[in-house]
Amino acid sequence: MPQEPIPKVEIKSFAIQFGSKEVIKDLSFTVNKGEVFGFLGANGAGKTTTIRTLLGLFEPTHGSLSIDGLRYSPKMSSEVGYLPEERGLYRNEPVLETMVYFAMLHGIGKTEAIKRSLTYLRRVGLADKARERLTKLSGGQQQKVQLGVTILHEPSLMILDEPTEALDPVNRSLLMDIISERRQKGATVMLVTHRMEEVEQLCDRILMLKDGTSALYGSIEEVKDSFGGHVIALNFTGELPTNTKLYTIHTKRPHYAELVWAEKVTTDDIFKYLASQSDLHVTVFEVRRPSLNDIFIQLYEGGGHD
Amino acid sequence: MTKMGRVISFEVVRSLKKRSFWFATIVIPLIVIVIGLIDYASAHNANTTVQSQNQSYFQTAKIGIYDQAGLINAEIIKKQNIVSEPNVQAGVAAVKANKLTAFFYYPQNVAKEGISVYAQDQGVKFSPPYNSAAETLLRESVDLHVSLLTRNHQIAQILEKSPPITDATYKNGQPTKGLAAIIAPGIIWITFLVLVVMLAYFAVVATTEEKENRAAEILLTSIKSRSLILGKVLSIFILALVQVVIIVIPLLIAYVIFKNHITLPGGVALNHIPISASVVVTGFAFLLFGLMLYISLLMGFGSLFPSAQEASRYLFIIIIWSLIPIYALAYIVSSPHSLIVQVFTYFPLTAPSTVLLRNAVGTISTTDVLISFAILFVSVVTAIAFVVRAFQYGAMQYGRRISIKELF
Repeated sequence: MPQEPIPKVEIKSFAIQFGSKEVIKDLSFTVNKGEVFGFLGANGAGKTTTIRTLLGLFEPTHGSLSIDGLRYSPKMSSEVGYLPEERGLYRNEPVLETMVYFAMLHGIGKTEAIKRSLTYLRRVGLADKARERLTKLSGGQQQKVQLGVTILHEPSLMILDEPTEALDPVNRSLLMDIISERRQKGATVMLVTHRMEEVEQLCDRILMLKDGTSALYGSIEEVKDSFGGHVIALNFTGELPTNTKLYTIHTKRPHYAELVWAEKVTTDDIFKYLASQSDLHVTVFEVRRPSLNDIFIQLYEGGGHD
Repeated sequence: MTKMGRVISFEVVRSLKKRSFWFATIVIPLIVIVIGLIDYASAHNANTTVQSQNQSYFQTAKIGIYDQAGLINAEIIKKQNIVSEPNVQAGVAAVKANKLTAFFYYPQNVAKEGISVYAQDQGVKFSPPYNSAAETLLRESVDLHVSLLTRNHQIAQILEKSPPITDATYKNGQPTKGLAAIIAPGIIWITFLVLVVMLAYFAVVATTEEKENRAAEILLTSIKSRSLILGKVLSIFILALVQVVIIVIPLLIAYVIFKNHITLPGGVALNHIPISASVVVTGFAFLLFGLMLYISLLMGFGSLFPSAQEASRYLFIIIIWSLIPIYALAYIVSSPHSLIVQVFTYFPLTAPSTVLLRNAVGTISTTDVLISFAILFVSVVTAIAFVVRAFQYGAMQYGRRISIKELF
């Protein structure tokens, strides 16, 4: 018998407004213990506002947000590792002292904080930079230190807001490793991003936020199903005609396109139609499920789904 | 250790490692002392130079006078080889012809009309030697004249220089310490002003740094904003204490060495500075809470700005309130019950400086102290609440200045 999922983060009927601007209207979702949850949305959709409210930085106008059943307070900081979108540390302080300071604020004793900081710095190849000021480090090295501050206290919940934004491939790979490790140890990860390839790679369930409310919510498979199943992927040369009675083109590049067929139309109808076009030569005609990237683009460019 | 303790420890240790802290603590007072010494030496040197210039001038210069007032002593004229000219025109012509170095004309009513000097150009000098020579010649002659007339040498001396005064004052039949009583509370008042100015920038940086470094979000999810702000306020207090200790230690050493040798202006011996417990307690209470008010307001002020650099341009808006009571000093000393002094005593931003001044000059009642302190205490609590709110909201408003209206 499968185990009932235990909620780690619960957001119920959450709404927030700044002045007359309503940023989140009515948002409810759950992040279960041990899962990697993708919290997705276009820029300005309200992802960061939701995270900041979850972590007590803003007060909700309506609804409740909880971690382990409680409204977040800094007393719970030993359980949460937060990598904010706007990130930075004390640039003029030495790396080790900065890491130790934040580790201590997350409830670790000084000796243990020094030990863990040095272990981490050795792992990411920055052992010789421990006494350097942060400002002397390169951008990539500073990102590694920032990641260290997020995970040093081994939190049971990691909230990573746009974690791979501005990360170089080395640091991106390091972050992926860290997420996998933490997950193996039972941690819950809430990943705020708009990089769909990472979401497909890492996440168990996702929520796509649009206009301050949930547009899509569930496992990746459920989301894909709910979005309407399949698309036709075409590789071609020549001119791809428009025919809204048969299909809509939602992705188009010079020799590649993805088509979503209209109601009561079969793939055979479309194949025959395309084959009949004299100035079009189709090399690949593949029926497949849409990628999250396709869904994302269609959701935010095409005005959502029914 | 609590999270607030960790904040205090982190903030104090890193500030003590900063050059800017030691610059403010050591170099600024040192510059003030050096400027004071240069000023003293310059004044002393100028005085000595004028005296020696006068002496050498009379020895080397060829001087002519026309004494219409009849005050210049004949013996001095003879002794200094001064030439008497028959009239002003003759004297001026002799200067023009380079026969005289200088010519002094003492008109009949010299006290009213003054001395006229005609001399060879000596270049630009603040105190031309011929001017002081003309004045010295008249003064010495008048002194001699008075001595000869009164046959009392002291009269001339008194006219030349006021004698020193030693006073004894009494209140309710008991001897008081007079002006000497101002010294200890006066030092507390000066300490307050110096610390407000020296710590202003540190207070502003304490809240703008996290904002500039984008570290506020992590910090505010790790520690309650109230604990963070209180930790920062207390760390600035500890730094203030360090600064006071560093400034006071050399003064104490100097006191121990020179206490039996130095007399302060007003005739107070260094080893007899009176210290009243109630005055000192009042002084320290207002020093402490006054500083807390200013530090909190400056920190809150810093939270509204995107950077320390931008905030520091407007620091004077707050600091100026600690200095304004100085301009009401005359009222504070002579009319302590006037409206302006009462307003300054109760208005939170002027209260610390005003009460410390009134405490020093002894024009404040116990009732005024208690009412003012109660207002100050409430203001400090309000100011801390303001800075907590300002930091909580302002710390995440990266790159822009926010208005106070936005906070509430």
